[in-house]
Amino acid sequence: MSRIRRIRSEAVAAWHSFLRRRTAVFFTFFFPVILVVIFGALVRTQPTDGGLFAEPAAYYIPGYLATVVLFTPLSRVGSEIARHRDDNRFEKLATTPLRRTEWLVAHTIVNTLIIGLASLLILGLVLLLTDATVPVSGSLVMLVPFVVLAVVLFCGFGAVLGRLADSQDGVIAASNTIALPLLFLSDTFITLEQLPGWFSPLVELSPLTYFARGVRAITYAPAVGEPSSGPLLTLTVLAAVFFVAGAYAIPRTD
Amino acid sequence: MNEAVVADAVHKTYGDTVALDGVDLAVAEGEVFGLIGPNGAGKTTLIRALTGTTSVTGEVQVLGEEPTAVDADRIGLLPQSFSPPARLTARELVDYYAGLYETARDTEAVLADVGLTETADSWYETLSGGQQRRVCVGTALVNDPDLLFLDEPTTGIDPAGRRALWDLLESLAAGGTTVVLTSHSMNEVQRLSDRVGLLQDGQLVAVGTPADLIADHGGQSRLVIGTDTDHEAADALQTAGFTAAAGASEVVVDDVSAIDIGEAVDVLSAAGISYDSLTWTEPSLEDVYLQLTGERFEGAMTPGASVVTEEPAESAAASPQPPVEGASTGGDK
Repeated sequence: MSRIRRIRSEAVAAWHSFLRRRTAVFFTFFFPVILVVIFGALVRTQPTDGGLFAEPAAYYIPGYLATVVLFTPLSRVGSEIARHRDDNRFEKLATTPLRRTEWLVAHTIVNTLIIGLASLLILGLVLLLTDATVPVSGSLVMLVPFVVLAVVLFCGFGAVLGRLADSQDGVIAASNTIALPLLFLSDTFITLEQLPGWFSPLVELSPLTYFARGVRAITYAPAVGEPSSGPLLTLTVLAAVFFVAGAYAIPRTD
Repeated sequence: MNEAVVADAVHKTYGDTVALDGVDLAVAEGEVFGLIGPNGAGKTTLIRALTGTTSVTGEVQVLGEEPTAVDADRIGLLPQSFSPPARLTARELVDYYAGLYETARDTEAVLADVGLTETADSWYETLSGGQQRRVCVGTALVNDPDLLFLDEPTTGIDPAGRRALWDLLESLAAGGTTVVLTSHSMNEVQRLSDRVGLLQDGQLVAVGTPADLIADHGGQSRLVIGTDTDHEAADALQTAGFTAAAGASEVVVDDVSAIDIGEAVDVLSAAGISYDSLTWTEPSLEDVYLQLTGERFEGAMTPGASVVTEEPAESAAASPQPPVEGASTGGDK
């Protein structure tokens, strides 16, 4: 019970602290929205034989979701760690019963809630502003574990970045540098056929690839029927590895 | 009495910089121990060593355990330069830290202790610097710790708030809480501490009660008499057995207790010597600090407790000065 009490206390504080930072809230939701509006509604997908956005609109749902699943935890957890370090909060927390794992669990819960809401907003906008349709079936529920696992994974990744970067600016720069190529080169917005043959194996190295493939198998009609269990299993293993690495990376001493 | 804190030959270096150089320290349970020293002397590093938030060589025991193994419910810490999470009210912050412990004190009681009941619903950022520091002190008290580490607890707090906090710390100490605190306020350390340790260049160069340290290192009490007839005044006082020396329009009389001031005034009156002022200074912890750290400026004298009386430039015999009484420093302990 005391472990739950500690995690709850940390999560409630982090949730309030985030919700009251208006610019942080605004841009957390505005960033994916603007992407959907620009690419989904203004540029529009133009199914042809090649080029960017040549697939049907629903093909890009995993990409739109990836913007929040990837960017938000990376930058938020990384920045939070940098802020905690700058303000000597870890020094204080180290003398409380709160464990590093519990701290990361609490912040992962907060990120899951935020990203869950943002994902619902994105799905709604894609369906509203584009001609995308999503096959309605019970398997849509499987979106939840994919989003949760991806958030866990990138919260852990963000914690590692927060440990390695020596400032909040450093975290932002590092997370952008890592997230941007991952966003476009993980079978999200750019199909494997559009990439050089030698590059394709590298796509398999991106954790986001398994999120994109799993989500596509649920939300994109031509892909429905493809197994999502493989990507889910891979994502589970990667989430566990990154979470442990992230928890270990959270500073305890100087 | 059991020892709450033991440090034995503790060393810590940051690159080529030696932060702690063989520190030995023991703090008894229920004791209030003050750490003083110049900036960079190693005070914060020593607090971190004792709380297990930095790794050191040597041996450290806190409440009978290694710092990282001790029951966190028994420890409270206020780090230096600490800021809690943003956009939370004082009440939410105390609630937050209370939620991290198995059992915690009532939030309202903690807020009352640090004098923030009326501003409990204000965001931390909107509080004054002193109020913010009081919130931080409150977060160190939420678990009613047996051992409390406070790294410069009253920085930025106004005099009234500081005194309220001193009262609070004294009540905690009276209740048996062991307190290790650092401060640059010698008044604070002298008032609160049972014993004081002076750190310099990573070494604990002196440890003792404030009274013992002052007696050993504080120098003598001193009476400075402002007068144009300094040589005559000095001669009269020397004849009466005082250690007096003439200066530029003043006479400095060393080793004068408060009750001897009246006698010195009587000597001047009897000699028909007029004077402009009397300034009596008794040594304080600040003098100990300046003496041991070598930071005393040449010719400077700290007015630990001084009484100045002024007299019209007439014969002192016509209006003899009353003896100066009650001119002791605020060293309550």
